[in-house]
Amino acid sequence: MSAPILQTQDLGRRFGGLRAVADVSFAVPEGQVLGIIGPNGAGKSTLINLITGHVKPSGGRVLIDGRDMTGAPPWAVAQAGVARTFQIVKPFRGMSVRENVAIGILYRRHGVNVMSHALRAADEVLEEVGIADLGDRPPGELPVADARRLELAKALALRPRLLLLDEVMAGLRHSEIEPSLQLIRTLRERGITIIVVEHVMKAIVAVSDRILVLHQGQVLTSGAPREVLTDRRVIEAYLGQRYAQRRGETPDAPG
Amino acid sequence: MATSTQAPRQAVTPTSRRDQARRALPWLLGLVALLGALGLQSQLYSGQERTVTTIFMFVAMAEAWNLIGGFAGYASFGQVVFFGLGGYFTAVAMSQWHLTFWVSLVLSGIVGALFATVIGIPLLRLRGHYFAIATLGVAEGMREVVINLPGLTGGGAGITVPTVGRDATTPYLGNDGFYLLFLALAALSVLIAGLVSRSKFGYGLRAIHQDEDAAAAMGINTTRLKVLTFALSGFIVGLVGSSYAFQQVTIFPERLFDVDITVLMVIMVVIGGSGTVLGPLLGAVVLQFVSEFLRQHFINLHIFILGAIIIVAVLLLPQGAVNYLREARRTGEYSLLANVRRYRL
Amino acid sequence: MTSFLQATAYGLLQGGLLALVAVGFSLVWGVMNVINVAQGAFVVLGAYVGWEMHEWIGLDPFLGMFVSAAALFVLGYAVQRFLINLVVNGPIFITLLLTFGLDLLLVQGMNIVFSADYRGIRTSYASNSLTLGSIRVPVGRLLAFALAVAVTLLLVAFVNRTRTGISIMATGMDRGAARLMGIRARHVYALTYAIAAALAGMAGAMIGTVGTFNPSAAGGFTLMSFVVAVLGGLGNMYGALVGGLVIGLVEAWSGQYLPGTWVYALAFLVLIVVLVVRPTGLVGRAYYTGRQDV
Repeated sequence: MSAPILQTQDLGRRFGGLRAVADVSFAVPEGQVLGIIGPNGAGKSTLINLITGHVKPSGGRVLIDGRDMTGAPPWAVAQAGVARTFQIVKPFRGMSVRENVAIGILYRRHGVNVMSHALRAADEVLEEVGIADLGDRPPGELPVADARRLELAKALALRPRLLLLDEVMAGLRHSEIEPSLQLIRTLRERGITIIVVEHVMKAIVAVSDRILVLHQGQVLTSGAPREVLTDRRVIEAYLGQRYAQRRGETPDAPG
Repeated sequence: MATSTQAPRQAVTPTSRRDQARRALPWLLGLVALLGALGLQSQLYSGQERTVTTIFMFVAMAEAWNLIGGFAGYASFGQVVFFGLGGYFTAVAMSQWHLTFWVSLVLSGIVGALFATVIGIPLLRLRGHYFAIATLGVAEGMREVVINLPGLTGGGAGITVPTVGRDATTPYLGNDGFYLLFLALAALSVLIAGLVSRSKFGYGLRAIHQDEDAAAAMGINTTRLKVLTFALSGFIVGLVGSSYAFQQVTIFPERLFDVDITVLMVIMVVIGGSGTVLGPLLGAVVLQFVSEFLRQHFINLHIFILGAIIIVAVLLLPQGAVNYLREARRTGEYSLLANVRRYRL
Repeated sequence: MTSFLQATAYGLLQGGLLALVAVGFSLVWGVMNVINVAQGAFVVLGAYVGWEMHEWIGLDPFLGMFVSAAALFVLGYAVQRFLINLVVNGPIFITLLLTFGLDLLLVQGMNIVFSADYRGIRTSYASNSLTLGSIRVPVGRLLAFALAVAVTLLLVAFVNRTRTGISIMATGMDRGAARLMGIRARHVYALTYAIAAALAGMAGAMIGTVGTFNPSAAGGFTLMSFVVAVLGGLGNMYGALVGGLVIGLVEAWSGQYLPGTWVYALAFLVLIVVLVVRPTGLVGRAYYTGRQDV
């Protein structure tokens, strides 16, 4: 059996006295879609940053394809085939949409060396995410949904085997969520392992094989979506003890 | 972070002959400029020749600064340290170790690159104004170190490169020779800037400048690129400093490590257009011309007027002339008054 | 031992003055992200105003410093409101260049108007010395030190206790939020810069009494402000006080014990090490690392 594509062991990070993430251990087999949920402040984004190398862990290990990549710099993680999107999108504002994506094509592992080739390949990626006609525009002009697609395109340009999506649905209208979900399913069919950090419940339930729940920096529970969402501890964490006591059944999914 | 000083660039996918011609044009123009400068030499009096030589010197340094400050976005305020190190290395090498100028020249460049690598690794971890201040500190500190090692460097009394007699390892180049030398350095610097600008390396630098975290997340080894760029700019400025030392014959720490040289470099790049290849070239030429003109016609007031010009230029064209023109052509908005509002509170 | 104590005393006295010079610089940098290269020029200008008051109407410089402060306050307000505010949203080296141009203008202007001669403001009592144990303490220096420290502490109180002061700090921390609360950022910025200029001018008048000055001294004061501000942490006024005293002591001790001019090399080494190891300065936290500018 091959190593899981991602595994963390007792991963943790403190900021001064605050333990943002503590003793987080989980493994993701290749091809799975793992959803990560948790109330605000649960440490979800910090966890992503720990995996991608943007934040150095205070303790624990990160293993990618069985290789120890704990504390590795972000570019090493990217070249190992792990791509991510940022919760608040970070495009290169002085370049066109196409050039933004081309950067990933240039600098991924086995990247291209000539800009013109990269630009052509970038157009293909833009096609995949559905913003092929926006190639010449500056990213600052894009509305939210398109900006998110650009962020995704930049990640896909790296030809990742593992994709970390940090709250890609936030702020989207109803009509925009389903196409995004469809995109995730398409990527999954291509064999990309995906970790989705999300607040929008119906989205994450619709697309995840497994859900991990974080609370106050630690893993509360993990398992199949329906199981996790009816778990009383999870309901307590989100909605408080008294709500959980009053309602024994699945709460209406918000949004 | 405030808005980038660069206008979004048009995508370039040169498949047509027209596009290929468009890409070749700048190189062609550069060649024409080079030939023009060569031809110009015979038309100039020696005083004018020296002025133009100084222009070439600043073109070389401004383009080099632009690599780290304009493309990568790390504004080095200690750039003169490479100038001084290059100059002093050459002076010491020629006077005490009896090397020829040409050998010293190359070694000075290498010294500049090595020093940039050594200080770059810790300092390039600092962002924004901290990096600026730290590099300034290095330059100022190095001057003090040089002053305090009179045995090696002659200290405050300066050091002299032997140009006559038995000790002279290389015949003095004279006005004409130095004109060509500095022109070559300017051409080299512009060439390197041009090559970097269009290359994968250049795009990587721009990505670092515009969003370093995103750049790292996309596989760019930001440390390696930053240090490499810093070393490259250190190399070029080291060469310039070395040539300056030979030209001046006797050099002093206050001049070779003068912070004003760094500031001039920065002003030239900013006024011309940071992050472009043409910008620093334009800025260097214009600013030196203006400075010379003022010096000759307003002997007492020239620095005062220069200060006023700097203020006006920064207010009207904060993103630099070349960037302003490019954006104006794209948006059709030419009003300078509108431009003033760009960075306004 | 006496020479050590003497050097320490001098270092502290000088340090207090340096703190006053630097505190405004630190404030402006911390609150507005503006590096005021013209800080030294303001100091020297204040010295000249004090000198003129002394020459014309025989005003004691320790009173004349208030005139300096007032004059430089007005100048500073105008400069920020009508010049620097125009570019303050841009990359930091734009404002740097602007203040550099301003510095050129002011220093050359002073050269033209006052000439490059060295001057000093001589009062009858300033050169008298008190003797504490085995150390001599010149009255002028002592007075300058006391006033400098007092003004710095007043500034700290102003910034923490008064509405205006708090709005300055708030604007520095989160300009967008401050504006949403009705704070007029343009005015607050102008006020901040004006205060910095006024304090620099005041320090200048005092410096005029304890030593000599001329326009070219401006650069040295700016440089020292840099070092002190970074040491103390940008925008941290207690830090500027501590930083000033530290630099004053370093200057005095190394003048005493080190050969030649290693003192400056040392100062820069300290600066670089502090920046790399602890960019928030020696004292306390940096207030302005999480900036949101709207």
